[in-house]
Amino acid sequence: MKQFLLKIAGYGLVSFLILNGIAFLCLYFLGNSNFYKPQFVKNGVFEKEFDYVVLGSSTGLTTLDTKLMDSITGKKGLNISMDDSALSSHYLMLRHFYALNRKTKCLVLAITPWDMAVTNPTLNVNDYRFLPYVNEEYVYEYYKSLEQTSFKVLTLSRYVPIIGMTYYNTELFYPSLLAALHPEKRNRFDDAGNYSYPNFGKPKKSENKIMELELKNPYYKKIKQLCIDHKIQLILYQSPIFKTSVVTVDNQYQKIINHSQLFQESIMFYDNLHVNDKGRKICSEKFADELGKECYVNIRSNANKYNGYSK
Amino acid sequence: MLFNSLEFLIFLPIIFAIYWLANKRSLQLQNGLLLVGSYCFYAFWDWRFLFLLMFSTGLDYFTGVKMYESENNNNKKFWFWLSIIINLGFLGIFKYYNFFVESFSAALSDLGFRTNFWGLQVILPVGISFYTFHGLSYVIDIYKNRIIPEKNIITYSLFVSYFPLLVAGPIERATHLLPQIKKQRKFNHSLAIQGVKQIIWGLFKKVVIADNCAFFVNQLFKNTDGYSAPELWMGMVFFAFEIYGDFSGYSDIALGTSKLFGIELLRNFNFPYFAKDIADFWRRWHISLSSWFRDYLYIPLGGSQGGKGMRVRNTFIIFLVSGFWHGANWTFIVWGSIHALLFLPLLISDKNRSSLGNTNYSMKDIPKILFTFLCVCLAWVFFRADNLIEAIHYITGMFSSEHPSLHFFYKNAKYGLLTVLCLISILFLIVVEWNNVKKSNYEIQLPKAIVFILLFMICFMGAYKNQLSFIYFQF
Repeated sequence: MKQFLLKIAGYGLVSFLILNGIAFLCLYFLGNSNFYKPQFVKNGVFEKEFDYVVLGSSTGLTTLDTKLMDSITGKKGLNISMDDSALSSHYLMLRHFYALNRKTKCLVLAITPWDMAVTNPTLNVNDYRFLPYVNEEYVYEYYKSLEQTSFKVLTLSRYVPIIGMTYYNTELFYPSLLAALHPEKRNRFDDAGNYSYPNFGKPKKSENKIMELELKNPYYKKIKQLCIDHKIQLILYQSPIFKTSVVTVDNQYQKIINHSQLFQESIMFYDNLHVNDKGRKICSEKFADELGKECYVNIRSNANKYNGYSK
Repeated sequence: MLFNSLEFLIFLPIIFAIYWLANKRSLQLQNGLLLVGSYCFYAFWDWRFLFLLMFSTGLDYFTGVKMYESENNNNKKFWFWLSIIINLGFLGIFKYYNFFVESFSAALSDLGFRTNFWGLQVILPVGISFYTFHGLSYVIDIYKNRIIPEKNIITYSLFVSYFPLLVAGPIERATHLLPQIKKQRKFNHSLAIQGVKQIIWGLFKKVVIADNCAFFVNQLFKNTDGYSAPELWMGMVFFAFEIYGDFSGYSDIALGTSKLFGIELLRNFNFPYFAKDIADFWRRWHISLSSWFRDYLYIPLGGSQGGKGMRVRNTFIIFLVSGFWHGANWTFIVWGSIHALLFLPLLISDKNRSSLGNTNYSMKDIPKILFTFLCVCLAWVFFRADNLIEAIHYITGMFSSEHPSLHFFYKNAKYGLLTVLCLISILFLIVVEWNNVKKSNYEIQLPKAIVFILLFMICFMGAYKNQLSFIYFQF
């Protein structure tokens, strides 16, 4: 019995150390690549200061083309939106952005009505992408507070990286191999963080509907407070949704650019929620006009006027 | 509590430690602890069904003793049939009642009668088919005077409820398991090491092969429309490896776990996809069930003693009952019938035993192996489909000539990666098993390097996010 236990413990320990070593190396390579958005913000962006950044989920990622907007406004923007994320992830991304000593004058927060209505945020599908930085307190605290399962995979990965690497093996292990060979490789976004859906998609038929934007998500307040702390002008952006009009029920939003009704032609959409390349061009041009009026002008003339909390 | 869950990872070392500490004191304590552990293991699913398990155990224990004590044949028969009727009654109510009522109702509707479907909203107690068959074999063996009843209720309860085999087998026999339970177990180092290796092998089959293949199979079988013939063929092959990885993986973990406790369970699989014909396949697949049906149904029906007509009849009965045992659905009955039909030519030509005991393989066996695998795969379509219409739809789609491509398996990076993982792991399984088959190993033998590769694959190739239950739990 003793011999068996010693043997199992010995082999178990060696396997544990080797596998954790592999996981540690994988996270290291991934953390020093441009593969996912958090890594891109750290390693793939050379400028420190921006006039504006676009932050959101897939709607922010695929609706606003910062390159096009920059060419119109002459300003410098960056898209740090991440697909399959939500306000809580946006908050983490913004903290990550500032932790890396990046700065912006204006934050364009791409929102969705259903995300704003969430009262109990949970971990989002793609939050594992911050795992290479789990040793950073803001990432660790974020995982710790939002992981609701009894076995906290991401939180525990701070001490035992093989846990997260095993659970998210297809999302982390294989990309890390790619990152080790091609650290400059990006996962579906360009060098300004933008991505567009092709023109061959089609939205499903649906009835016209109206959605109210309700402010319930506690992470909205956190983002707002972070903007105040860093003197960032916060602009909310609502992208087009097929056959849907998004309306605000009160005046609690200091500034919102609402494109939900900008167009309704199905040829502009990839699916019901996302515009395609044609739709993106129209949205970006229209947004650039508004950005020039609301963000850039005011930043130059009165930097403190839109400081995130003034109505 | 799934074998591939965190709960089991905690449960197993605890019960292992307590069990071997108790070993020094007494056999009764050791068995008692194992029984309590087994009940905890079962209660983790649904504690309410624990009472059903206890009742079934008590019934068979009691009727076994009564049969043995009966002074005349009528009394013996009474207790025997009481046990059979109640056991099969529970199985019938929980597993088959809705099926029969629904089928009867549908038949009446077809004849123009209006019927009200009196369905029951019941959950199928996990493992009921397995522990019922445990109990039945015990009762039948006593009735046939093959064994004498077990007097100790704890020993008997452990025979029925021993946690590694409780929910999905292997279906044990009193003659094999009870003597091991009644004997003081001493820790066997090499058996325990073999057990750990077998657990790792089983985990690999489950989380790497079965759960990754399931990702594609579930989509293909959910809606066959829109998939090309090559995609459906590949889906069928993936399901063959999914079900094998899932069920034999479970059996490996069960057998390996049991070895840690010094108890050897019946072998359930013997590299079935290397079978040279259907008869050979059934000597290698779910062996404990096949042999159960052989001993308690086929032989009592006359077995191979009568003429060919009787053998054909008995074979069909066995396969139909075997199909029905798997679930209350026509798909399982058709699956059993297909196997019976595939078995028939071998039976008629007296070649059903031609591969028996023949463990040598040569190049000329490869076409036979591939043909048998193809037949088994086609039958699996009926096993997997939700209903007969979908199964036929799937098979029809496999022979469609429209837009042949395998695009579904690489439509984006994730799908492409998972396809590669499935293919690599299946190839690895075939190579490892082939090496064992060629050496005529009774059980899988894994060198240290292979064990480490398996650990690596379990970590970096396993599917964990949508943890799937074992398929055979539903039976």
